[in-house]
Order: sequence, then C-alpha cells, then structure tokens
Amino acid sequence: MIEAHQLSKAYSRGLYALRDLTLSVSKGEFVFLTGPSGAGKSTFLRLLLVQERATDGSLIVNGHDLMTLSRREIQEYRRGIGFVFQDFKLIPTRTILENITFVPEVIGVPPAQQRRRAFQVLKWVGLQHRMNGYPKDLSGGEQQRISIARALVNDPVLVLADEPTGNLDPDLSLEIMNLLREVNAGGTTVLVATHDRELIRLVGRRTITLDQGRIVEVG
Amino acid sequence: MRAIDYALRQACVSLKRSAGASTLSVVAIALAVIVLGALLLVTWNAERVVAEWTSAAEFSVFLRDDASSEQRGAIETALDQSGIVAGREYVSKAQALVRFQREFAELASLTAGFDDNPFPASVEVRLRAGSENDGRADTLVRRVASLPGVADVRYDREWLATFGTGLRTVRGAGLVLAAVMALAAAVTVAAVVRIGLYARRDEIEIMELVGAPLAFIRGPFVAEGLLQGGAGALLALVLLWIGFAVARGWWGSEVAAVLNGLSMAFLPVRLCVVLVGGGMAVGAAGGLAAARHVGRGALTEPSGGR
Repeated sequence: MIEAHQLSKAYSRGLYALRDLTLSVSKGEFVFLTGPSGAGKSTFLRLLLVQERATDGSLIVNGHDLMTLSRREIQEYRRGIGFVFQDFKLIPTRTILENITFVPEVIGVPPAQQRRRAFQVLKWVGLQHRMNGYPKDLSGGEQQRISIARALVNDPVLVLADEPTGNLDPDLSLEIMNLLREVNAGGTTVLVATHDRELIRLVGRRTITLDQGRIVEVG
Repeated sequence: MRAIDYALRQACVSLKRSAGASTLSVVAIALAVIVLGALLLVTWNAERVVAEWTSAAEFSVFLRDDASSEQRGAIETALDQSGIVAGREYVSKAQALVRFQREFAELASLTAGFDDNPFPASVEVRLRAGSENDGRADTLVRRVASLPGVADVRYDREWLATFGTGLRTVRGAGLVLAAVMALAAAVTVAAVVRIGLYARRDEIEIMELVGAPLAFIRGPFVAEGLLQGGAGALLALVLLWIGFAVARGWWGSEVAAVLNGLSMAFLPVRLCVVLVGGGMAVGAAGGLAAARHVGRGALTEPSGGR
C-alpha cells in the first residue's frame, strides 16, 4: 500500500525533516509511526497527503507515484484517503450529520447517497442518535469518533491519523484505538502517528520509530 | 451543476452569517452603480434630446429688405425642389417684430424707439429627418445662401456638436470615476469575503484533503461576491428610480417645456440589466481575488528532484 524508498524531505539551509526513509506498509496492515516531537512523523503524513513533496527518493501509495501526480491526479488520489486530526477539525456551524455528509457532498456525490452513507458510518461509531446535534454538544471522545466516521464516509483504502488521541484521556484513547482497529479489520490500511508508547504497547501492532528524520527501529 | 448549487447555498449561508460585513460590500457596490447609473441616466436623456433636435433640424433664410417678390419666389422654389424640406413658413418683418416683442417682453420697450422695423423677413425651413446626416442639408444651405435677395442663412449646428462633445467628456469622466469606485467596491468585497474565508479555514482544509475540485472550494466565495454585487446593483437601481421619480415630480413639467414636450425617461431595461450584470461581475471579481489562493496550499506542484 505504501512504498517509500530513500525518501528525503529537506528544507532550506540543509535541514532535513526526513532522510533516506525506506519503509513498506502492506495492504490491510495497521502500523504505528512513532518517535519524539520533530522526528518527522507529521512530515511523512504530509507527504502521504501530498501537502508537501519529498525532495528526493520515491513514494508510491496504492499505485500512485506521489512525486509526479498532477493537481487533478492529487484530487483523485485524495478521494481514496481518510484522515483523522488530533484536534478533530469538526465544523462547529454544521450538525454532526452535516459534518459527515459534507465530505461526499464536496466531491459531487448525490444527496441521497451522501445521507445514506453518512448514517451508516454514524451508526458504526455508535453516534447515530446525536446526528442532529452540533460538535460543541459532544465530548472529546465523541468528537473524535465523528472525525473517524468522517474519514470513513468515502470508503478509503488508507486511513491516516495524526496523534488521534493527543487530546484524549487514556480510556478514551484506547476506545479510539479500538475503533481504528475495527476499521482495519474491515480491510482498510491504517497508519497512526503517535508518541504515546503506552498506547502502542496496549494495541500491539507493527511500529516504525523515527528520530531526527530517520528510521531508528522497526518492531 | 452540483458545484453551482453548493456554491450558491454556501454563499447564502455565509451572507446570513456575516450580514453586517456583507452589507458594507453591498453598499460599496451600490454607490459605484449609483454613480454610473446616474451618469447614464443623465447622458442617455441628453442624447435623446440631441437626437430629437437633430431629427427636427431647422434653418432660417433671412431676406434682404429690398428682396423682390420674384426673388422670394425663386428661393421658395429652390427649397421646395430640394426634396429634403418638410415644411416652410414665411415670417414677414412685421411678424418678426411681434414675435420678438412677445418672446422677449422685458426688451419690448426697446423697439418702441425704432423709426424703422429692424427685423428682417425670413423663411423658416424644417428639414426631413436624416437629411443633414448625408450632407444634403449643407448643400441646400449653401445653394440658398447664394441666391439673390438672401441676406443670411442661419444653420448653426455648431452648438449641437459642442454639446455632444461636452456630453462625451462628462460621460468619460463619469466612467473613470465609476471604474475607480467599482475597483474600491471589488476590494471591499474581497476583504469581506476574506473574513469569511478565514472563519472557514478548517472547512477549506478538509475540502482540500478529501480531493474536492476547485469549483467546490472557491465557488462559494465567488458566489458570495456575485450575490453581494447583484444585491448592490439592484439596491442602486431602486434608489436611482426613487431619485428619478422625485426629480420628475419636481421638474418634469419644466423639463418637458424646455424640451418641446419630450419627457424625462428612466434607463431602458437593457441598461438596467447591464448595470446589474456589471455589479455582479465586480462582486464576483472581488470574491475570486479573495479566494485565488484557496485550494492551492494543499495542492503542491511536483518538485524537480526524485
């Protein structure tokens, strides 16, 4: 699913966010990306979302060469990716249901199909009864569950999560991880960037550890 | 169609949410359209008057005091045979004096001391419409002026040309002013749209990351400017119409008297449509200017290296 070879991302003055990164994530795998702050986890996710381009090496995701995608191809590619933010990024002026239908809506999915699929994923995260409420009415854990539902609404082949439990207490963190494990159990590849070692230990999946832009451990 | 529907819905939501700031944009566009519309209203009416005067062209053939009746007959024959004269009227010296005393009553006492009637007899000629456009009127005037018994021919179209030039100058200056105001309005729209854009930055980021087309990302901001522009232009037309109705109520009869019964008219529908379209275009341009970078931040170009 993800093939990175000798991948580097350099900024000005010779500073490297990532250096000679070579890794592979198989289809249907659940992988943690960990390391201290500034290790390059978020940079790698940004490269996977094509928010930035690598300066060297190659990066192939689900058959797409991310180094050469055109603008239109990036749009197509991103429609197959789900993402989960640390700060949820729910839209406060939209209802819970609208927060989810918004995603298929802006890529042109017909309204009836938007609502049907949104209701399915809301039911799947167990929050269908809150669909007419607003994000401010939900707890942090519930907001992150909505964020996961939103990531799943377009049936992505890959879900990326950047510190998805960073704003949650340990119990809720485990709950969110269990949800992501269920996503993975359905065949979706999941890549989670986190610095929470205890959580990684509890979930127990393959872990790639970065430090100063390099892979220091694969476990 | 979905992108347009989405853009218009989101624009309406945004306008409702930022009603205060949007009002500012609407007023800015309305002011620009009022300036342009008022200018068009005045110049358009003035052009109608000029066209009316031009189509009803006249000239006067003043006769020498010693002109014989044969000479007068020859002049009238030349006029009748020209084919461009719609009508003519002989005004004798006595009629000319009476007319002067009637039209310039305050100066009438001056004529009391004359031993002799100083006003010449004349033939007043009305030309057929369009006859002056192809030079036939000028030819006739020159021919008549050379006939015996003719003292002078008054065919003064110079003031009409001067009036037309003045009208074009006023219109040009007004267009420049309106263009400057339109630019200011577009900048105001852009600033207001940018506020909305900032408020919706999370939404925009999500749209970028789910692969939404640019039409969905930028469309709502362009539509917001478009609606503000349309509302501003419509507001301007309503205010212009009210101003026009008031002016016509106050000075309509005086104007009609001066203009030979020609009444003041509001802008024709096609010009109103152009003004509304122009307002919408200015608003859309402002919206597009504000959103021109949106959707690019998360769509990077390929780098040179591998």
